[in-house]
Amino acid sequence: MSDLIGYLITGLGIGAGFALVASGLVAIYRVTRVVNFAQGGFAVLAALLTSTLLAAGLPHGVAELGGVALGALAGLIVGVVAIGRPGTSPGTSLIVTLGLGVLAYAVEVLIWGDQPRSFPGLTGVAEVAGARLPAHYLLILAVTAPVFALMAWFFARTDLGRALTACASNRYAAQVVGIDVRRMGLLAFTIGGALGGLAGVLTTPVQQVTFDSDVTLIVNGFAAAVLGGLTRPMIALAGGLLLGVTQTLVAGYGGGAYQMEVALVLMLTVMIVQAARTGPVPETAR
Amino acid sequence: MSGPVPPARGRGGTVNRWAIAVVAVLTLALPPLLPERHLATFVLLLLAATVTVGVSLLMGYAGQVSLGQASFYAIGAYAAALPAVHGVPSLLGLALAPVAAAVAAVLLGAPLLRLRGHHLAFATLAVQLILLSLLAQADWAGGAIGLQGIPRLTVLGVELRDLGYAYAAWLVLAAALLIARNIVDSRPGRALRAAATSETAAAASGVAIGRHRLAVFTLSAAMAGLAGGVYAFYLGYLSPGSFPVLLSIEFVVMAVVGGLGTIAGPVVGATVIILLVQVLNTLGTQPGMPDYAPSVLSYAVYAVLLIVCVLYLPRGLVPALRRTGRRPS
Repeated sequence: MSDLIGYLITGLGIGAGFALVASGLVAIYRVTRVVNFAQGGFAVLAALLTSTLLAAGLPHGVAELGGVALGALAGLIVGVVAIGRPGTSPGTSLIVTLGLGVLAYAVEVLIWGDQPRSFPGLTGVAEVAGARLPAHYLLILAVTAPVFALMAWFFARTDLGRALTACASNRYAAQVVGIDVRRMGLLAFTIGGALGGLAGVLTTPVQQVTFDSDVTLIVNGFAAAVLGGLTRPMIALAGGLLLGVTQTLVAGYGGGAYQMEVALVLMLTVMIVQAARTGPVPETAR
Repeated sequence: MSGPVPPARGRGGTVNRWAIAVVAVLTLALPPLLPERHLATFVLLLLAATVTVGVSLLMGYAGQVSLGQASFYAIGAYAAALPAVHGVPSLLGLALAPVAAAVAAVLLGAPLLRLRGHHLAFATLAVQLILLSLLAQADWAGGAIGLQGIPRLTVLGVELRDLGYAYAAWLVLAAALLIARNIVDSRPGRALRAAATSETAAAASGVAIGRHRLAVFTLSAAMAGLAGGVYAFYLGYLSPGSFPVLLSIEFVVMAVVGGLGTIAGPVVGATVIILLVQVLNTLGTQPGMPDYAPSVLSYAVYAVLLIVCVLYLPRGLVPALRRTGRRPS
């Protein structure tokens, strides 16, 4: 029983990381219709910078904020390149973000090398209902929950958030009432970058990061986001947590080797079922 | 993509035919003149071009991005190598490579090709990750350590040496190009091009889109599988690490840089990129350069070429060159 609780909380912690990556994907996709392949790269960049800042003697908190800020900046840069040129179609933008993801490899290897890195998070062991687990997992959950609450408030209650939501639901109408759709797209990319960065900063103390960890992150994030059709952040949160818990349970009770396949097969099944239900995806007007 | 690219048709048939003949003769005469180190680049270039022909068909004519083409390359390689390791004649193993890849493509394509755009891109990526993970755990295929001691390819009792592989790869690429050319000019080719422009319009005109799309997917997989077979015998060693996700992305970069929906595009794209990476590799391994320089440079080349081509030369190098060539100077 205490094993189960331990696996559940560990899984939620890992899943929170996926959920943050997924919500970044959703934030960007809703506004711009671009699936941002570089989303995992934000997490890696933020985590690597945080490890450097901590090693340089900056206190916890400041270093992590620096990492998230770099994620946001990287998000803005990706946004400028991917949607900055007028008339770039979402499909083209996807390929551009793919290229930017590879470019991030060059930058990361150049600055930080190709060896795995980590940094200490919240040290110590927590005891929950008889299960002993690293306390850092609780910290991940304690940060992720308010972030999602804040996002829900931001998108529903603030003018800026409402403008973003307006772009998401109808670009043309948003333009007509005077919202700068391109600027909103760039803002969405910046938010997505910050969320990706937060995921990297939070999960690196329990999972080492290398320059190519972004593939795992983006695939799991996409799997979580695709549950809600890439447009609903709360379903992405649920999807991420579900993926994390399932993977930890599979690793804990089954063989540890097959946890990646769980996410992948789930993602394929969801997409195929969705496609079968809606029929061929409607063509976008050109 | 900003709509599929209308394929550039060969203009001035005789000029084209002469150009092809000259390129063919030159590439056939080249291998004996190359030092061993460059011969390896030559072989790998031809194999990469073969896979890219398939990727270009898929992207240019079926309008779909596959981020998992290296999985068919891997399936072909393992399908050729595994029987050969157990004593089956190597030529039979090579013949098995495209068949295995094609069968895998039919089985995977039936459910996956319902997906479009970014969904298909992620699905193919997922398939490759699953395949790599399964291969790493399959002890009968060498596991994560890899499959060693693959015999060399034997044709009519003669064991192929390095030069032989250069010509084998040349034949494989020539076959892929010939097939691609004939597909493009055929009725299914025209149907596919119609489907890539507007699926609804094509379907309304009676094009069996699903079947055609699966056919191209299977064909592109078979090309990748055949190239993988030659690769396995040439290197004599395979491991899951030989087929990273980045390799699939590289094939996409080559296809995009060369020009989607052209016959010469994949060859030009693969040549430009592999030669550029090779030059930078030589620079990066100069004394005094840090040991991470080659990988940093090659990542940067792939990334920058992909981004610049997609944004500024969306039709790729070959159509762009053709346009400037026709401009009165």
